[in-house]
Amino acid sequence: MSLFARNALIALAITIAIIATVLYAVNFLNQQRVAELRTIEDQLATDTLSIETQFALLEEAPCEDISAGTTLSQEVGGIGDKLAYAEEHAGADDPDVLRLKERYTLLQIRDYLLTKRLSETCGVKPTVALYFYSNVPGECDNCDRAGYALSYLRQTYPTLRVYSFDYHLDLAALRTLISVLKVEPNFPAFVIQGKRTYGFSTLEELEKAFPKSLFATSTSSTTKPR
Amino acid sequence: MQNTVLDAPPNMSLDFFAYPFIFAAIYFQAFLLVTFLSAPAVASRRRVASTKTPLVAMIVPCYNEEKTVRGTVESLLALDYPKDQLRIILVNDGSIDGTAAVMDSFAHEPQVTVIHQKNQGKHVALNAGIEAVPNAELIGCLDADSFVEAGALREMIGCFDDPQVGASTAAMSVHKPSNTLERMQNAEYILGIALRHILATVNGLYVTPGPFSVYRRDVVVELGGFRNGHNTEDMEMALRIQRAGYAIDSAPLARVFTKAPRSVPALVKQRTRWTTGFLRNMMNEYRDLVGNPQYGALGLIVLPLGFLAIIGGIIMFLLVAYQTVKHIVETFFLTSGVPVAYTLSTFVPNAETLQWFYLPVSIMALLAFIALAGSLLFMVVGKSISKTPGSMSAGIIGYLLLYGLIAPFWLIRAVADVATSNKRSWR
Repeated sequence: MSLFARNALIALAITIAIIATVLYAVNFLNQQRVAELRTIEDQLATDTLSIETQFALLEEAPCEDISAGTTLSQEVGGIGDKLAYAEEHAGADDPDVLRLKERYTLLQIRDYLLTKRLSETCGVKPTVALYFYSNVPGECDNCDRAGYALSYLRQTYPTLRVYSFDYHLDLAALRTLISVLKVEPNFPAFVIQGKRTYGFSTLEELEKAFPKSLFATSTSSTTKPR
Repeated sequence: MQNTVLDAPPNMSLDFFAYPFIFAAIYFQAFLLVTFLSAPAVASRRRVASTKTPLVAMIVPCYNEEKTVRGTVESLLALDYPKDQLRIILVNDGSIDGTAAVMDSFAHEPQVTVIHQKNQGKHVALNAGIEAVPNAELIGCLDADSFVEAGALREMIGCFDDPQVGASTAAMSVHKPSNTLERMQNAEYILGIALRHILATVNGLYVTPGPFSVYRRDVVVELGGFRNGHNTEDMEMALRIQRAGYAIDSAPLARVFTKAPRSVPALVKQRTRWTTGFLRNMMNEYRDLVGNPQYGALGLIVLPLGFLAIIGGIIMFLLVAYQTVKHIVETFFLTSGVPVAYTLSTFVPNAETLQWFYLPVSIMALLAFIALAGSLLFMVVGKSISKTPGSMSAGIIGYLLLYGLIAPFWLIRAVADVATSNKRSWR
């Protein structure tokens, strides 16, 4: 075999080895990301239990002991971003990502319900926005913009509590919530202080849907809009 | 989950077009590495400067180089070589500046012959020089803006111990690089030293660069002398040598410094000429070499990848440009109406975004990084084997930042010229 032929074959083997290593490394990193998400599962479970407990306490404890509202842990607060990133890199169909997304959605629903109960029982009036989006291509051209605008509002007005939901997530509790709130599959969909609105044009238009009191308050918030 | 993070979304359909070029780049670099480590390459690096002193004619074809030709001739006169075995032929190709006077000022030197001719092109000037020394064994060609080191010729002569060698190339670097563009080209030239050294091991060279190359005179005469070669006479001659079955060697310690374009338009013009020359030679007179197993590495790897590099360079540039513009437009669309201060704050890394979790690693990014690292590795190799003086750091930075932005312009221009049969002047 000539020097050229020998080198050409060795080079081909090296190239295949490099590409295989890169594929393995990227896949490994994505798996590590999912593993990182799994470590947050425990925290999700703790937070869910915490909310359940607060629900139970509400039956017996005076409002003033709880009226400060719920505060999800810091670890859970960042899971929304991490889930979005993992979806993008490991794929929205990844079973681990899907499972975590479902648990996170459940936690959001529980937190929303507790906030609502606090509002009714104790007169706490946080501004609550539910945001429903769709990841189905072509179904929601303005969801990116709406999500970004909500991120801005949430950061600027910390009393705003935003819960974001993938409308098509196959989760019974979410289906029930959608049914109870009578949210139509027109995206983006918002339920702000109990009122449904659809579509997104500008930040100014969206702000009109919020009570004016929001823009003059400042306390802590919970989940991030996605 | 709806993504609101301001990073480029993956676009698999577009990435798909880039993968073949990245694969080819990595394969070529793997081939270079394996060949660099092979025994023949190691042996050629251990070759010492020759003590043989065949009669050599150094030809300096010149058109309007009054500012540099004096230095060129002085470097030839300073060569470490017996004066009675070295002829210096200065060919003034109808210059309209002060070149003729500078050349004539060397006429008193016994080694020097000055020829004045009307402007007919570099290849005619070279042939005139060859005819002037019929008994020379070797012909050296040195551009009138290039300067050889004293030991360069002896380093080259060792290549001709192999009777199959028809020509040899030198180790070029930029003469006193001062601005960023020159430093960038210097880094690129040093990469070229490594490439020529390695590819010469498998006889894969297709150009004997004008700044300084040495030919076996009999071979050049047998092949009919230099031709215009679509304004790339050095490439055309190298291809003819290869087709005739001779080898082209490389002497990485044969140092020559050459002037490089100092401005982007000048660089684009020079490289457009080189690229159109390659394309026209390959698509016309030397089409049979491409993909031809008879020519080994040259036919199966170097020339096909030369084509691929041109097409790939254009496609990759267009892909990156498209994705960049698309990302800017999407970001503008996404953030419109939201205060700019908030948008700017999202670009500032914080404890959250700096976590390893958000490391922007993708298959394409890693493969591109490996390909780039390979180029840098061979720059270091080139500097090491040629013992090129000076720092290369600024050149490498310039290469990384600028080359990918400028090169697509000469590639696109060259392809357009070839497609439209547009002919440009040399200068």
